[in-house]
Amino acid sequence: MAEVEETLKRIQSHRGVQGIIVVNSDGIPIRSSLDNSTTVQFATLIHKLAQKARSAVREIDPQNDLTFLRIRSKKQEIMCAPGNEYLLLVIQKPDSS
Amino acid sequence: MFTDEDLEPVECLSCWKKERYTDEVGVQTKDLDVEDVGVQSKKYEDEGTQTDNSRDNYFKLAETDEGRLEKFLKKVEPRLSKILEKNMKSVAFDDYVIRSYEDDLAVTCTHTLCHDELKDELQITGVSWNSTGSVLAATYGRFDHEDWCTHKAALCTWSLDRRDINPKKPNVVIDSPSCIMCLEFHPTNPAWVVGGNFSGEVLVWDLNKEDDLLISTSGIGDDAHREPVAKVQWILDPNSKGRSYNIISVGGDGKVLIWTMSKKKPKLKLVEGFVLMTQSLPRNMKVRGVRGDKEIGATCISFNSEDKDTFIVGSESGCIFKCNLHAQGNPAGSHIVSSVPLRSPVTFTFNPHHGPVHSVDYSPFHRNAFLTSGMDQCIRIYNVLQDQPTITVEPGEGYLYSAKWSPVRPTLLAAATEKGNLLLYDLKSDQLVPIHKIEASVDNKPVYTLQFNLTRRNLLATGDGSGYIRVFKLGDDLSSLAPRDVEHLSHVINTTD
Repeated sequence: MAEVEETLKRIQSHRGVQGIIVVNSDGIPIRSSLDNSTTVQFATLIHKLAQKARSAVREIDPQNDLTFLRIRSKKQEIMCAPGNEYLLLVIQKPDSS
Repeated sequence: MFTDEDLEPVECLSCWKKERYTDEVGVQTKDLDVEDVGVQSKKYEDEGTQTDNSRDNYFKLAETDEGRLEKFLKKVEPRLSKILEKNMKSVAFDDYVIRSYEDDLAVTCTHTLCHDELKDELQITGVSWNSTGSVLAATYGRFDHEDWCTHKAALCTWSLDRRDINPKKPNVVIDSPSCIMCLEFHPTNPAWVVGGNFSGEVLVWDLNKEDDLLISTSGIGDDAHREPVAKVQWILDPNSKGRSYNIISVGGDGKVLIWTMSKKKPKLKLVEGFVLMTQSLPRNMKVRGVRGDKEIGATCISFNSEDKDTFIVGSESGCIFKCNLHAQGNPAGSHIVSSVPLRSPVTFTFNPHHGPVHSVDYSPFHRNAFLTSGMDQCIRIYNVLQDQPTITVEPGEGYLYSAKWSPVRPTLLAAATEKGNLLLYDLKSDQLVPIHKIEASVDNKPVYTLQFNLTRRNLLATGDGSGYIRVFKLGDDLSSLAPRDVEHLSHVINTTD
């Protein structure tokens, strides 16, 4: 039970991490450290993107699979770790020296 | 004779009064009926209603099997942690500047201002932004006098924030009987502005006052400049612990004078004075037979950003002098009369321009870097420690009347040219080719002055030969600090070919 929360807390404690969302295979958030509207937005949009990325990888080589997706933007980096059932999103603001 | 006698009473009955008689009769009223009844006019009832927060109801985290989620997280966590840590140390994107929008790089002209009565006749001799960055002031005058100055000149201000801004009519016009050659707003008080005129007078105005805006003046006399004032600046008063400012002015008579404002009298008091003399010229520029204590006309001045005592002065002879407020140079010749002893401030002389220097500017980011521009059509960037320029740029645009460092980007500099253009150079990309060349004057008149806005850092103003002022807005890329720019500048400054 607490193991899940602890893991999430550990990830959250990394420098620059702004939020964590766990999304299930339907694109519905399961755990989130962000407010509701942001969570819904991130979950649905990034879930779709991750699905698309995964299908692209598989189409190129059916033996292959997507293991990680990183999206670098002006303000943040969104990291997606896909699994069979879940998708973990971590939003990090990198140091801007 | 007398005897007692009893007489019988006599009764006389009234003939008209009748005797009253009484009779007893009993009466009884009916019993009173008393009844209690309660009445009540209103009935109160309390009831609560509450609209539902539909969003909260709508949003719900989905349920899931904890065990499988745990397994998933365990699997991805190590890799994710590694990436998160690496990301913070990564330098992969450090030099990657996003230029996705075209506006980021663009320079757009937002205002073209003029004083309708004076344009065409007079030139813009100086522009300055006030401390809040919202008011732009410009001085009208002429640089090309052949005899006495009889121009009706003016100092005009525009507040760019006002909605009813009229580009042809300034908000404030201060008339002056002779040309005003330069001005500068007070660094903290947004209403004070100092100017210098053709007769050598230094004047301070308070724009907030009602009728007579002039609050202090140096007057004309032995203490004041004997030639037009070339530049005025506010400098920190070293005795006030950073609270009040003095004024430093340089003029065509070679004097560098420091004035202080007195609270009681509307007169500026001369505190200290220096004079540039021919003895400071490099040997190959000295003319035989000319006395060493002849003055050299000064044209521009700039203070070091870190060391507040060090400044650079450009001169009409083309020489650039490094000076210090505490320098103990030779005293001025006996032909100069002044109430304070004047001495030479010069501590070092740089390799001269081949013509009058029009502007000098210390870099706000590097203590050793300064740039100069002049009549010999080139921009030079010097390292204070070397007499030869580190970089020389020749834009081929005629005389360069003004050149300034950007207050935001350490490697960005702007120059105003005789052909009417505003040039922007970035030392990081290509040092010899301007990254922007913008027409900054009306009908190709020379651009005499340019000034970055120190508060609103994306604004820049220029003033041209036909009396028009232009305000330019610099794109995000030109008005925001890029990573490692400072290092780049010091790299450029410290390399010599």
